[in-house]
Amino acid sequence: MTTDATVRMRNIGISAHIDSGKTTLTERILYYCKKIHAIHEVHGKDGVGATMDSMELERERGITIASAATNVTWLDHPINIIDTPGHVDFTIEVERSLRVLDGAILVLSAVEGVQSQSITVDRQLKRYGVPRLAFVNKVDRTGASPFKVRDQLVEKLGLNAVLLQIPIGIEDRHQGIVDLVTMKAAYFDGDNGEVVRLEEIPSELRAEAETWRERMLDAVSMFSDELAEAFLAGEVTEELVHEAVRKGTISRELCPVFLGSAYKNKGVQLLLDAIVRYLPNPTERENIALDLDNEEKEVRLQADSSLPTVALAFKLEDGQYGQLTYIRVYQGAPKKGDELYNSRAQRKFKVGRLVRMHADHMEDIAESESGDIVALFGVECATGDTFCAPPLNYSMTSMYVPNPVISLAITPKDKKSSDNMGKALNRFTKEDPTFRSFVDPESNETIIQGMGELHLDVYIERMKREYKAEVETGKPQVAYREAISQKVEFDYTHKKQTGGAGQYGRIAGYIEPIDGKDYEFVNLIKGGVIPTEYIPACDKGFKKAIEKGTLIGFPVVGVRVTIDDGSSHPVDSSDMAFQLAAIGAFRSVYLKAKPQILEPIMRVAVEGPTEYQGNIFASINQRRGVILSTTEDGNFSRVEADVPLSEMFGYSTTLRSLTQGKAEFSMEFLKYGKVPTGISEELVRTFQDKNQKVVVR
Amino acid sequence: MVKSELVKRSPLRILEKSIHGGVGKGNIAVLASRKGVGKTACLVHIATDRLLRGGHVIHVSFAARVDHIVSWYEDIFEEIAKWKDVQSVADIHDETVKNRVIMNFNQDGLGIDKVLKSLGAMIGEGHFPADMVIFDGFNLQGRGELAAIKDFARATDVEVWFSASLKGEDPLFDERCIPVEFNDLVASIDVLVTLQFEGDHVRLQLAKDHDARNTAGLHLSLDPRTLLISQDGR
Repeated sequence: MTTDATVRMRNIGISAHIDSGKTTLTERILYYCKKIHAIHEVHGKDGVGATMDSMELERERGITIASAATNVTWLDHPINIIDTPGHVDFTIEVERSLRVLDGAILVLSAVEGVQSQSITVDRQLKRYGVPRLAFVNKVDRTGASPFKVRDQLVEKLGLNAVLLQIPIGIEDRHQGIVDLVTMKAAYFDGDNGEVVRLEEIPSELRAEAETWRERMLDAVSMFSDELAEAFLAGEVTEELVHEAVRKGTISRELCPVFLGSAYKNKGVQLLLDAIVRYLPNPTERENIALDLDNEEKEVRLQADSSLPTVALAFKLEDGQYGQLTYIRVYQGAPKKGDELYNSRAQRKFKVGRLVRMHADHMEDIAESESGDIVALFGVECATGDTFCAPPLNYSMTSMYVPNPVISLAITPKDKKSSDNMGKALNRFTKEDPTFRSFVDPESNETIIQGMGELHLDVYIERMKREYKAEVETGKPQVAYREAISQKVEFDYTHKKQTGGAGQYGRIAGYIEPIDGKDYEFVNLIKGGVIPTEYIPACDKGFKKAIEKGTLIGFPVVGVRVTIDDGSSHPVDSSDMAFQLAAIGAFRSVYLKAKPQILEPIMRVAVEGPTEYQGNIFASINQRRGVILSTTEDGNFSRVEADVPLSEMFGYSTTLRSLTQGKAEFSMEFLKYGKVPTGISEELVRTFQDKNQKVVVR
Repeated sequence: MVKSELVKRSPLRILEKSIHGGVGKGNIAVLASRKGVGKTACLVHIATDRLLRGGHVIHVSFAARVDHIVSWYEDIFEEIAKWKDVQSVADIHDETVKNRVIMNFNQDGLGIDKVLKSLGAMIGEGHFPADMVIFDGFNLQGRGELAAIKDFARATDVEVWFSASLKGEDPLFDERCIPVEFNDLVASIDVLVTLQFEGDHVRLQLAKDHDARNTAGLHLSLDPRTLLISQDGR
């Protein structure tokens, strides 16, 4: 049974480039939905900060890092807003949020238009198939050009972007908005624009509005035959247009464009109308789970409260009352006191407290709705876990988690920091799957790993602020890999006889490079020359051997090990003997297989005024970068390049000084690529020097 | 087949031979036809051939999106690699990508000065050792612009290939195969190749070769299936 509440519900995210005014927009939405009683600015003078920026650090930097879910109501429609982070280094946060959304608002600045990050965010929306509306913000700013932004949505993002509104004046003459569906002018009165006044379209804008309406109807009627007929007959009704826009939006073939200025309180209520009108409810999106009891067969979930519960834990927060787990309910409707099963941890638990999060408080609820986003208290779990009603054993399709590409050694400054650091790391690794930490057994140092410099910086800051853990950091270290480049055979005997039981194992076979896989083990042993019970020990030994290559001590990837001969001893052979034989066999021939060093290559996009493009080209060239393309649009240039991560440290500082702070960049991990010979020799030398020092000590 | 063989057997060697060793650094070659006949395909093939020979190419385009141009290169490369069974395709491909930059301009009515300035920055500050520059879809505005491009080509020691869309009424070409609308410009062009439909093929015709005009037939056409330049009868 799909309830009325589910059909009215909207789960939306607000995705944007940093500084396009996303937090201000969110703040206004909360205000108009009567969730908060006063408006604060992101960079506010009152020191209170916008409500969604719950973390002190975000408030200070004016950016949003963690995504909090907030429930609001507009025209009787409950809307869950997931505030997504704006910085590209935290894309896993963005992606995790996108996973639970049914629709998104892509916020763009009317001045800067489609920027590098809008492109990244748009790609993510496409990857998760999220329908979206575009909101062109800051129409009141000098240099605003909302029509150009629409063109960019078409050209740069390939969207079928259609204006549903046009502005009444731009820049400092921005007064209101013409709605091309109702053909009315909207003005926003009152101290905070809370009173929407509808008027006739100003006569000087009439003709322009007619032209844009014609264009809009032309594009929108593609999605409804009824509208197309009505259009030809000149009998278009508002309902027909709404229906067609909704259909086009949900099928992701249309991106309706809205405008305004959140800061000047213009256009936000009309955007809210559009959210409930055009974005899908939870029953209109397809959600798939994997049945773990049935060979991971795909199962279609339904936002139906009478079916057994399936929910995804997508966000953890450490609050003063313990761990808060945000879940998206995909099927069923969990109630207080229900028993649920965590399919990853293979553990049952009871739903104790169930809460709905509002911007300024939380509300205890007895039951949730199907499709809803709610939070649980005191559940031991990790992000990405699936909860289902027994006997279901489902897992939501795995979320794409990239491997970390950078690591940093951290040392606590004192005893107290050391204890707190442990707590903080435990929490962060649970919250963020791209953030990892471990203790290096050789140096005994704690190593943290993540997706970029800023990513790690933020966690170090959070350790200090939230956990009072002060740490010293080492130099950032790139996560290199080693890979063999040719096939070699091995025949290795591990033999040890030092009194008591000896050790004996002989393994023969070959190692060769493979594509697309880190490791593969092939057993071609015939006639039991290595007894079957020792084969897993061989596999284990090889796995151990590739954990650290002997070239520079990084993991070996892309290797297939085949064993086809060997021998054993009835008394002296053991699991341990064959494990050591495998390790020995691999190490004995590894260097003969001509190993190479691989490094993470980033796809970098730099944007800035054209006058600085020579500097930008030079900076990429100096960093061993390969410029793929440049795009010049007026006085603005975008450069796309592939650059090794090891060369990108400190690039933001360099770029700032090269361009007087007018250019910015974003980067994403692309692939592992071969390190050029000169640099690879240098890395090997450094590794050898370091090892020698250890020996001397 | 190895890369060197692929280069040696390329039908573009015929073109090179016909124009006595190639366009030459500091010179300008123009590929002229009506819209939609296959100029971009030819230019991308010519550029890819240069990349396979270890050259560095800048492709200047005026398209809405860069990825359209990239997919042209991908398609043409794939066809060439298919044409003869080439060894270590992935490595060769990576190398061609490394030595190629696409510079896209999406502003209407952009003057040549701005384009040349950006090219200069790429070659100068960007240290990109270009030896060929492809201009695809630039709307040439008279002799002055052509002279500016020629100066640039000489100063930076690059070979320039141009595509020109012919828009006039028929007949497009004069009796010497020179496009009528090029009468003024032909003196500043070093090599002029035209593309014309002939049955189901698009024929490449050499209209000017450095100082010679109305030269012999090239026996080259554009294969409508692969969009590669190919030798007649093969």
